[in-house]
Amino acid sequence: MERRRPLLALLFAALLTACSGGDGRTVLTVYSPHGKELLEYYEQAFEAVHPTVDVQWIDMGSQEVLDRLRAEQANPQADLWFGAPAEIFSRAASEGLLDPYTPTWATKVPADAHDAQGRWYGTYMTPEVIAYNTHAVSQADAPKDWDAVLDPKWKGKVLIRDPIASGSMRAIFGAILARSIAQTGSTQAGWEWLRRLDGNTKEYVLNPAMLYQKLGREEGTITLYNMPDIATLEQRTKTPVAYVIPASGTPLLVDAIGIVHGARNPAAARQFYEFVTTPAAMNQAATKFLRIPARSDLVEDSLPVLVRRARAEVRPMPGDQKLIADSLDGWMKFWDANVRNSRRGK
Amino acid sequence: MRDEQDGAREERDLRLLTASSALIPPPSRGIRRAPNTGLAVVSLGLLALLLWSVVYPNASIVIGSFAGGLGAWREFAASPADLDALRGTVIVAIGSVVAALLLGVPLAFLLTRTEFRGRRLLGGVATLPAALPPLVGVLAFLFLYGESGVVTRIVQRMLGLHEPPWSLQGLTAVIFVHAYTMYVYVFLFVSAGLERYDTTLDEAALGLGASRGLLLRRVTLPLLMPAIAGAMLLVFMSALGSFSAPYVFGGGARVLATQILVSKLNGSIGLAYVETTVLAVTAVVALLLLRRMEGRRPTAMAGKGRATRAGARSGAARTLLPMLAAALVILLVLPHLMVVLVSFARDGAWTTQLLPPEYTLDNYRKLATERALWRPITNSIGMSAIATVANAIVCFAIAYVVVLSKAPGRRLVALVAALPWAIPATAIALGLAATFDRTAPLQLRVLLVGTFWILPLAYFIRNIPLVTSAIEGSLRQMDPTLEDAARGLGASRWLALRRVILPAARPGLVAGTMLAAVAAVGEFVASVVLYTHANRPISVEILAQVRSLSFGTAAAYSVLLILLVLAITVGARWAGDSRPARVPAG
Repeated sequence: MERRRPLLALLFAALLTACSGGDGRTVLTVYSPHGKELLEYYEQAFEAVHPTVDVQWIDMGSQEVLDRLRAEQANPQADLWFGAPAEIFSRAASEGLLDPYTPTWATKVPADAHDAQGRWYGTYMTPEVIAYNTHAVSQADAPKDWDAVLDPKWKGKVLIRDPIASGSMRAIFGAILARSIAQTGSTQAGWEWLRRLDGNTKEYVLNPAMLYQKLGREEGTITLYNMPDIATLEQRTKTPVAYVIPASGTPLLVDAIGIVHGARNPAAARQFYEFVTTPAAMNQAATKFLRIPARSDLVEDSLPVLVRRARAEVRPMPGDQKLIADSLDGWMKFWDANVRNSRRGK
Repeated sequence: MRDEQDGAREERDLRLLTASSALIPPPSRGIRRAPNTGLAVVSLGLLALLLWSVVYPNASIVIGSFAGGLGAWREFAASPADLDALRGTVIVAIGSVVAALLLGVPLAFLLTRTEFRGRRLLGGVATLPAALPPLVGVLAFLFLYGESGVVTRIVQRMLGLHEPPWSLQGLTAVIFVHAYTMYVYVFLFVSAGLERYDTTLDEAALGLGASRGLLLRRVTLPLLMPAIAGAMLLVFMSALGSFSAPYVFGGGARVLATQILVSKLNGSIGLAYVETTVLAVTAVVALLLLRRMEGRRPTAMAGKGRATRAGARSGAARTLLPMLAAALVILLVLPHLMVVLVSFARDGAWTTQLLPPEYTLDNYRKLATERALWRPITNSIGMSAIATVANAIVCFAIAYVVVLSKAPGRRLVALVAALPWAIPATAIALGLAATFDRTAPLQLRVLLVGTFWILPLAYFIRNIPLVTSAIEGSLRQMDPTLEDAARGLGASRWLALRRVILPAARPGLVAGTMLAAVAAVGEFVASVVLYTHANRPISVEILAQVRSLSFGTAAAYSVLLILLVLAITVGARWAGDSRPARVPAG
């Protein structure tokens, strides 16, 4: 049995590790898709002001947060949910996963950017854009509007983030179908549009990081994605990429925040909620992390050019938002079964 | 490899035991002892443990698929996407088995039977693919063989093509990656089998006039069948539930493991449960078929094995073998080199060039200054150690009960112990999350979600089949009369266990626990569903880095993980080589 000893020693060390930890501070658990840098920044800033609170964030995709909250419903682990499209927050709210809270700035956001019962409020606005590789495509050649992406010259050049898992792609597809209903009374033209897009699509890419990678390396030269992520890619990495805000309007996602039902430390959650949504914090989010604040009471001049440009140029795409929210799951299922790969590569 | 001097006495003893037991007519073939109470308690205890940790969480998923009556099942049957996914899953599983066998069996023979230049080097790197954590391996393949990968671009330039010569997409790409990562199971199992294989049997067969083909067909392969069947089972099951490769390369193709995620994200939990159930049923059917194949073969092997290595016979083989070995070594090491290379590359700078144009130490510097750098690493080591020790103890007991006893319930124990391979890791995680999210003694529920212990439990469950079938493979090669003979000669149950069973089980025990520790330390799919801030493992940290576009930092973490895995492998080799401490006779 002699050779088991190293294993036993390891086991013992592991037990010690497991039992240590916890320094007596109140633990505030935040689920968020906002990324390491933004979260680390707010964690440190918040803990500097509230030394008795230990902020522990977990960075994951929006849909994953929803999945986790469902799984933990009987014994919630999170206190605060910071970030996800309003569509997902609405579903969580209807499943009883969120508690109402009215922030001090409740009147400073548009009526459609918060839940009627206060279970979520909008923090940032996320417009969808057309992005292109600046090595391969000149600014003049880049498609300026949604319909231009269907041009045969882009056949086999369009990269699409897998639409099922992506809030951005779902929003774009939903907007295309809603536009079809608004203009022709049925979804038929919209489905034809999506089939033509499928025909131009080079590949459905399964996560954003790989999408950026493939775009940067010219496996495809244009894509449809959200503005803050593409702008971050353009400014913070060496990836040769730029974007166009579609001329006829674009889906504008509301990115929200909400308190988890059954939070262990609701008081700390509310403190953090307020802390990341003050005008100063919004300014930081805009300058440091290229987010577009949803609050309407900010001093415009204090925001970076990029964000001001987006706030000025972005026009919401016309379409019945309620209809989109109600039909999207069914539409995506139909797309997955009947449109995906129907013309791609043919 | 074998320590002849040390093993000589033991071997002689065992031969004597075998010879003497051969003189007594056995009561029946297979010789299992009559049931006894102690073993029955152990067997039923194991069964209870397995039912609670494996069956209970997953039963809730099957029940969940009927939550809306037959609605979700009808939806599944009517969906072309789901039927497509089912077909894709079976193709991937069978393709991976064939590819892994084609790669693993010849390599095991080459390394245990033949002496040639480069053998030691090749032997040293043969298990390297197991050192690549799933997500990291897939990314490394993408950097190498993807459309803009290094190898792809080299071939493209050499042939002067305008388009990439291939695209790493669809089922073929998935099978390609599986062949690389999963052939290790075949290689390790068959090597372990060959190590216990007595080559004097070959000499005898050849001496009696058998051709080499006949020898292979009638002697060698039948004797290795338990090992090959065990490995096939593992490859089939891991390919069936594999998530990372189809997730990244799936593009045009669908498999059930990823389709489950699609359904879940689309809000169709019922459909996701149906897909999970279908996947599990497919796996259980395959499991029963392969078990049958494993059980039909005569498996007794006398003695402890004696491997002799022959030099290459012909001149052509003498020159070709080292070249083949060199090519294999390069192929096996490339993904690791790629990860190391990316860990020194500046993020975002590498676009259309063949190799990263700019290099930096920043990725490692970032890790060194990262506030909580060591936390994920100690977490992974600790959780992997806990899970693996539990696996070694429990799985040895399972293998013993299944192979060498007649205890009641052993067939059920064997079946349930093989089940976790059949269930995708995501489903195991979801089942655990759904079952252990509260404390309810009457329902046998304990609150584990959100605690440190949920991940070690998940790792333990995932690795039960791996460790069990490795130990079983070794035990099946042992003549089952040996234990009886030892007991008959006056050895206590404990002494027989230590001096007869444990040594026989050792190759499998070492190989199995090594693979389990490696799998646990880099585990990704279940971890990502169940981790909390307090037990966040390395793989999740890598994913977080990839999410924030820091491929370089992710690669640097991956390099640390690979080093950790190599340390485990070296440790296992050391444990495999050293003889157990001598127990004074008495």
